[in-house]
Amino acid sequence: MKSVYVLFVAGRVGRSLRELFWTHLLTAGVMAMTLSVFGGFLMIQGNVGRLVQGWSDQVQVFAYLKDGVDAAAAEAMRSRVAAYPEVKAVRYVSRERAWDEFRKTLGSQSGILEGLEPDVLPASLDVEVRSGHRSREAVLSLARRMAALEGVQEVEYPETWLEKVRLLMIGIEWLKWLLGGFLFLVAFLIVGSTIKLAIVARQDEIEIMQLVGAADGLIKAPFVIEGMIQGLVGAALALALLRGAFSLLTAELLAPFGALVAGRQFAFLGAGECALLVLMGWLLGAAGSMLSVKRHLA
Amino acid sequence: MSMIRLHKVSKLYPPDDTGVRDVTFEVEDGEFLFLCGPSGAGKTTLLRLLFRAEPVTEGQVIVSGRNITRLKGDGLAAFRRRLGLVFQDFKLIPRMTALENVALAADVTGVSWRESRRKAFRLLAELGLKDKYGALPPALSGGEQQRVAIARALVNDPELVLADEPTGNLDPEMAEETMRLFARIHRQGTTVLIATHDHRFLQRFDGRVLLMRQGRLAGVHGAVPAVSA
Repeated sequence: MKSVYVLFVAGRVGRSLRELFWTHLLTAGVMAMTLSVFGGFLMIQGNVGRLVQGWSDQVQVFAYLKDGVDAAAAEAMRSRVAAYPEVKAVRYVSRERAWDEFRKTLGSQSGILEGLEPDVLPASLDVEVRSGHRSREAVLSLARRMAALEGVQEVEYPETWLEKVRLLMIGIEWLKWLLGGFLFLVAFLIVGSTIKLAIVARQDEIEIMQLVGAADGLIKAPFVIEGMIQGLVGAALALALLRGAFSLLTAELLAPFGALVAGRQFAFLGAGECALLVLMGWLLGAAGSMLSVKRHLA
Repeated sequence: MSMIRLHKVSKLYPPDDTGVRDVTFEVEDGEFLFLCGPSGAGKTTLLRLLFRAEPVTEGQVIVSGRNITRLKGDGLAAFRRRLGLVFQDFKLIPRMTALENVALAADVTGVSWRESRRKAFRLLAELGLKDKYGALPPALSGGEQQRVAIARALVNDPELVLADEPTGNLDPEMAEETMRLFARIHRQGTTVLIATHDHRFLQRFDGRVLLMRQGRLAGVHGAVPAVSA
């Protein structure tokens, strides 16, 4: 396209944005709400995924040993368990060490242990499971084999939460696309309606342009560009909204859950996800305006 | 050489097939013509066929050697850029200044912003609107608005100017002045065709007259006898 046409189209877009400023802003606002719902799901999904990954890295199976198992026998058991393919690391925790670690965990509240004997806790083999073997079935299989070892009193392992978390992740994924898809449709139609309004508001101008011999593209391009701008502004507003919500959430609302989430780094959307939101805004604006131009601008 | 050639052209509107029927005529390059007749005679319809605002029902319309009967899209736009069109209701964009309205027609041809403004300003000055270039159309009188519309029609140096009742909304004095303007444009070598039902001008301005009645060409008066109905 010749540069004079680019300037001409830019001038018409600027004029329309000024004349229908509030209509365009309202549409960008609706677009922002839509994209921020989708972006919100993206952010929740990313953070829950990272949280679960963190928890999964700590999937452990605890084999509590019978009272009569001495350190040498426990060490032999440790070596045997360490050879299992699904075991990443295994650690023997004596009764004394278990007591010390428990006391340290309680910290300033360790006074509640006063009066208890240090050998109240059993010795154990703490097994860290390799990634790729952390499914419910794999952990169950490992736990059964360990339970069958001579000298093992009881085995504890995370039985069902892994499956529940997996279902939760699937749920978030579906909700993201279902709700996001519905809102995208709404935004798409609203962009179309705004462009229709712009077309009706400039019907006289369009007719005159046709009469003086303006090419089709020159007449239609400004409307499509307006839709794209609405989408891009909507995406920018959505990112600002999400950033504000993220800051508020991490600073205020998650504080009471400090113990649960301690040490976890909650993160805002990554560069790729931000780019995805901007791209979706742009595409929604372009598609909505193109459809409207096709329908209402003969 | 013919500027316009119509051959057995009909444009019929349902349900009672009003419009124009079986019209054949030719206009030579550089002619000054009036298309006359009472209201409803088909003048406006015929004029609209000449700039391809509507498709013909039958026949062929050839303008400047080009058959425009089936023109559409960018081909139609390119054709219209070679015409100058003037209407009774001026068809100015009320949100744009006089200068912008005139320059718009130049802008769409791809000339630079500076060039289109320069040409628009020169034409407005020639038509006595030097001090009104920044005014919006609603702030101008009917005569001034029509002169802005004429300036817009001339900004691309058209080979053919088509005017549909250009004096219909003007007082007698302004109407006379507007007609003199068209005569001046014609003297500069442009073919001018004016549809009007106002017979006052026919004798005062030297041009061939095509008379229309009930959608048909009913008669021809004037010097160039290349007409058959």
